[in-house]
Amino acid sequence: MAKQTVEKNGIGSIQPWILPAAVLAGWFLVCELGAVPGYLLPHPVEVGRAGYQYIFGSPGAAPYAGRFAADLAASLMRVAVGFALAVALGIPLGVLSGRLAVVNRLVSTSINALRAVPGICWLPLAMVWFGIGMKTTVFLVALAAFFPVYLNAAAGARAVDPLYYQAGAMMGVTRLRGVFAILLPASMPNIITGLRLGLGISWAYLVLGELTGVPNGLGAAIMDARMLGRIDIIVVGIILIALIGRICDRFLHQFMRLCFKSARRLA
Amino acid sequence: MRRRLKVVAPDTRRQEKILQIRSLRKVFRTGAFDLTVLEGIDFSVQKGELICILGRSGCGKSTLLKILAGFIPPTAGRVLLGEEPVARPGPERCVVFQEDALFPWLTVEENIAFGMRQHRWPRKEISDEIDRFLSLVGLSEFRHYLPREISGGMKQRVALARVLILQPRVLLMDEPFAALDAQTREEMQQLMLSLWAKLSHTILFVTHDVTEAVTLADRILLMGKDPGRIREDIKVELPRPRKRDTEAFLFFCRRLFEGLRS
Repeated sequence: MAKQTVEKNGIGSIQPWILPAAVLAGWFLVCELGAVPGYLLPHPVEVGRAGYQYIFGSPGAAPYAGRFAADLAASLMRVAVGFALAVALGIPLGVLSGRLAVVNRLVSTSINALRAVPGICWLPLAMVWFGIGMKTTVFLVALAAFFPVYLNAAAGARAVDPLYYQAGAMMGVTRLRGVFAILLPASMPNIITGLRLGLGISWAYLVLGELTGVPNGLGAAIMDARMLGRIDIIVVGIILIALIGRICDRFLHQFMRLCFKSARRLA
Repeated sequence: MRRRLKVVAPDTRRQEKILQIRSLRKVFRTGAFDLTVLEGIDFSVQKGELICILGRSGCGKSTLLKILAGFIPPTAGRVLLGEEPVARPGPERCVVFQEDALFPWLTVEENIAFGMRQHRWPRKEISDEIDRFLSLVGLSEFRHYLPREISGGMKQRVALARVLILQPRVLLMDEPFAALDAQTREEMQQLMLSLWAKLSHTILFVTHDVTEAVTLADRILLMGKDPGRIREDIKVELPRPRKRDTEAFLFFCRRLFEGLRS
């Protein structure tokens, strides 16, 4: 741990930004040289201006001006609900099937079969079931995020050293208390990996769900912009989703570290 | 009148049988054939006694300890703790494992407190006991360290403290110092003996190391192999602290070496 902090103060803190900066520079160069026409790839300055309008402009001043806050709120809500459903189902089921062979035999084949179905296949069915809007998106997000959360929780629970249970049992830990005192802390690194993967995938399926013609949301803005030929807004949307996804991931990780000793000390 | 006599009689001998093992047998079913690991194990342990179970690897000594701990059931025979038969693991029969079995997400202090927290002791009492046991094993300065930040010897000190704090009626130790280097092992043996002198708990100590057994034990149970059975029950009447270079000490070691070889 000590080594990492030293790294972060020096050149280590710049390293993550080298690649984005290089991409930006390349983009700039390509547009300046006119190698790619503007209707395929707008100039970065144009995109910056559109982004500024989208985020800070007063609503109604121009198309897309100031829509960001409302879109973000709508999208965050959908991701939050869908992801929460996936977690509420995925962690208990994963831990159970990692710990109890019976549960594993009962559910793992079915879950792995369902996992092989590409998420987009569910879209038509979800639209028939839930119509267009919030419910369809939440369903898609929950479905997609469930698998990584479940699989990693199961792998973590399965990999807990039986010695820990023996140690707990001889110190008088009952089975139920053992779940919270031993099983969950010991599988915490895997659980966190599952949550982070799940949240990442949530954003992907959010956009898929919002492509179906809902009025607001970041995905809706992107789809809308395509119809209106506003490539700059599409690029703005892509960049914003990347940024928000990254921030959410950081936030989730920090949140887990704040709440759980085992997350601070093992992962 | 008769009843009172019955109660008084064992008391006059001052010794109390705390653990009784009666014609224990353990068979592992491995597919086609059965493997008898333990056969006709019969002995009892007096309160406050330090017994070493000495045997070569594969003689079933660890299996015996696991049965006493309640981790696995015997195929036949009985284990009695006081008057109660042993059926499952519990804090009255604590184990110090050979491997590092500390919880890696808890600090030294929290590992030692773990057992007490499970039993909902008053907070003040827990923190007093933790201070006492941290200083008993000499880890007061390391209380906030994580297991991965301390040495193997220190880990076994924590492992010792976290079970001694629960005041087990019998402490079961499964080659706890086998993975340590020679110097640390000797230190740990001395620490264990000094704790035993202070707390006078009952210890069953499994080892394959003859010198270790002679250094520690009041009584050595020498185990033979295939199937594992107790071949000899030897009282070690050497004065403590024991010096390893005395003639009497070496005599015991030679005798046990021969016992192991035959």
